[in-house]
Amino acid sequence: MKTRKSIWLAMFLLVAVLLVFGASRTGGPKTQQDRIDSITSVLACPTCSGESVFVSRAAAAESIRAEVARQVAAGLRSDEQIMSYIEQRFGGQVLLVPRATGVDSLVWALPVAALVFSMFLLVSAFVKWRGNKPTSPTSQDEQIVARALNERI
Amino acid sequence: MKSKNLVKIISTIVGIVIALFFVVLVVADPDQDIVAKSPLLGQPAPAIASETIDGEQFVLERRKGSWVVLNFFNSTCVPCINEHSLLVDFAKTEAINQNAAEIYTIINDDSSDAVREFFVKNGGDWPKVKDDNGAIAVAFGVARVPETWIIDPNGMVRLRITGELSPGLLSEQVNLLRDGFTS
Repeated sequence: MKTRKSIWLAMFLLVAVLLVFGASRTGGPKTQQDRIDSITSVLACPTCSGESVFVSRAAAAESIRAEVARQVAAGLRSDEQIMSYIEQRFGGQVLLVPRATGVDSLVWALPVAALVFSMFLLVSAFVKWRGNKPTSPTSQDEQIVARALNERI
Repeated sequence: MKSKNLVKIISTIVGIVIALFFVVLVVADPDQDIVAKSPLLGQPAPAIASETIDGEQFVLERRKGSWVVLNFFNSTCVPCINEHSLLVDFAKTEAINQNAAEIYTIINDDSSDAVREFFVKNGGDWPKVKDDNGAIAVAFGVARVPETWIIDPNGMVRLRITGELSPGLLSEQVNLLRDGFTS
């Protein structure tokens, strides 16, 4: 029994280590095209609905793609700075992934808050149901029942 | 009993929030301002450089000292075609003004030949600036044409008008800005 527990624990630890490793590794240096693709994938085409600049063939998307390519080739700005440049020109709606600051952060915080609150409600309900165990009747209850039965007869 | 109260409280809060949304929806004024929003308003105009379809150099920064009107244009866009006569009138009016505003067409996703042909047919002898890779449009955050921008003699962006111009609007706005301008 102890051996089985140890194996499960070891497997759990291994999975946890692999997950942490996978999430934290950088994946090596990016090529210029990788950078252009990753930036344009998170920018919304300003004249289309629901399309990223990466997939759209609209003129505005083509212009943004060309500008991103130009700035990446110049090598003067980071990916974040290039995205900020485009955001400053076209507004926050050009970002497909909302920022985690200001009012936009509600998009990330509200679902988590709702989840935590629902979990709290569920746990309180379960605890309450568990506490509602049937209790044995008191002598007063027995007297009421006896009286009712006598009245019936 | 307690949980019933909790449900009542939660539903009341949700009800109030929904009611507030409705109130905001009903009360909010639609945006009727002719000035479109842009983070560039009040900021230095983006440094742009290109050339005209006639091969002349165009560097926006060198236009400091003059009022500059940039009109983003495409010869196939219907509102651009509709407002063109208003721009021609504006250019004629400005030509006799001592502190005349310079007007430039910024070609958006269109060929130089098509634009040249359009201007020959419809008038307008101001410079037409090429924007082959859309860098000027992106620098100003222009996604759709027509758009008209006004830049003051200090090189600051003062006004953005999105969509088709209405008669007299451009002259009125340029005059208003000129009157209130102190360098």
